[in-house]
Amino acid sequence: MVSKTEETQLSNLENQVDNGGGGAWEFLCLVRKLKVRRSEKVLKHGLSILRDPKNRSSLGPDEWTLYEQVAIAAMDCQCLNVAKDCIKVLHKKFPESKRVGRLEALLLEANGSWEEAEKAYSSLLEDNPLDQAIHKRRVAMARAQGNMSAAIEFLNKYLETFMADHDAWRELAEIYVSLQMYKQAAFCYEELILSQPMVPQYHLAYADVLYTLGGLENLQTAKKYYASTIDLTGGKNTRALFGICLCSSAIGQLSKGRNKDDKESPELQSLAATALEREYKQIAPDKLSLLSTALKSLKVSA
Amino acid sequence: MAEDLVLDTAIRDWVLIPLSVVMVLIGVLRHFVAKLMRSNQVPDAKIVKEGQVVIRARNLRAGANFIPPKSFRARRLYFSNEENGLLYVPKGQAQNAQAQMFSDPNMAMDMMKKNLSMIIPQTLTFAWVNFFFSGFVAAKIPFPLTQRFRSMLQNGIDLSTVDVSYVSSRSWYFLNLFGLRGLFSLILGEENATDDTQRMMQMSGFGFDPTKSLGAEKDSLDIVQHDWALPKFEQRAEAVLRKALR
Repeated sequence: MVSKTEETQLSNLENQVDNGGGGAWEFLCLVRKLKVRRSEKVLKHGLSILRDPKNRSSLGPDEWTLYEQVAIAAMDCQCLNVAKDCIKVLHKKFPESKRVGRLEALLLEANGSWEEAEKAYSSLLEDNPLDQAIHKRRVAMARAQGNMSAAIEFLNKYLETFMADHDAWRELAEIYVSLQMYKQAAFCYEELILSQPMVPQYHLAYADVLYTLGGLENLQTAKKYYASTIDLTGGKNTRALFGICLCSSAIGQLSKGRNKDDKESPELQSLAATALEREYKQIAPDKLSLLSTALKSLKVSA
Repeated sequence: MAEDLVLDTAIRDWVLIPLSVVMVLIGVLRHFVAKLMRSNQVPDAKIVKEGQVVIRARNLRAGANFIPPKSFRARRLYFSNEENGLLYVPKGQAQNAQAQMFSDPNMAMDMMKKNLSMIIPQTLTFAWVNFFFSGFVAAKIPFPLTQRFRSMLQNGIDLSTVDVSYVSSRSWYFLNLFGLRGLFSLILGEENATDDTQRMMQMSGFGFDPTKSLGAEKDSLDIVQHDWALPKFEQRAEAVLRKALR
């Protein structure tokens, strides 16, 4: 997660470089530091630096890092020839390097030769069984081939050792949701909330999964997490507002027979509905009527 | 007595400044030598896993109030379970950590190298300072001190009537030793090999003792009471929405 100041800094630099001002090298360094994915820009500006021999020599030892960055960006944009050239240069300079070996395996993966890439990754892992990036590449390859069970297996084994890696937990949660294994996905989202309790996206995703699981207790918990998302985002998250309305009406439906006095937050649903209406009025006034009918049907059943 | 001694400006030019310059240069030299001599340490799988377990347990403790009570209890059991909990370390293994640290040749070599790179330049510089710059007053400390500091700060000056604020060059050496750390982090970037004070503090707590930290985590995890914060959030959300709609 990139902080807001860094985000603005990045976009400023991006605009500056796009419009012909200098600063391409700073932009590339910032992209590398923040680990964001701006492959087209990186490819364009990185290549322009690399093609000019004067610029290249002025970089000094960072030239090789730039080659690596451009190679990865090229593979992301499917310009495999560019990537092959960069990797060839790197291989000539660092013949026995593990980093270059990883890039070559990435190239095999980008070409689509899955078995060879798998072989390359396994041999790299034998040398260094604790290399996180290679483990993650294997998971990504399994997922790209559609082999979800293998991806889950790899990811679980990875997480047994590196259990504090929250990106891995997020990936696992997404895979589980795509396979509709909601209980496991809920577990992964709980891990994410534990490690970063103030990030609203995780609360929202957890609430979604709980609402999908259904059942009175899950619905009540989901409503609480939608509420926390609203709190963390200052009431601006439309999905959370919708979630509150849906949860309240679903809870009302389930507990219609029992005399359950809902003293927790009786006004939350009406407040959320009003907030939604106001937002639609501001942003999409032509859809306001759709919203009103939907809300009315929800309220009727509650 | 309280008279003011007038110190020759030549002292400043030929003692204080050269001493500082020499110490900075030696620090830079040590940094680059350490970089060259640094061996590639292959991390041990068990140690990495234990480090990650500790981080995860710490996260559990920190965010315990954000997940439902059932999940929290399940996780706590997973960690501190008697038979195969992650944090549970049987008593017999606890002693082995230190012995292992000595017997592991790589780690012992590494520590020796780090210690040597710290001790040798310090000793040499100290001897050089003592040889060349002793026997005269080098500087005056701007604040008054008690008599107890006399032996420490005025080693070469054998007059007992001189005010303790007037110090010899040995104290200037010590001042530089601890004070140049900030300068080095400016010049050499954050992680430099000259951070002696940090390493001296680390030497007393010998190395990374994983078993003790695991036991500590388990104890603190057992103490934690789960107080589910989410119900409060509903009321807070209400308040937020009300404020936003006003």
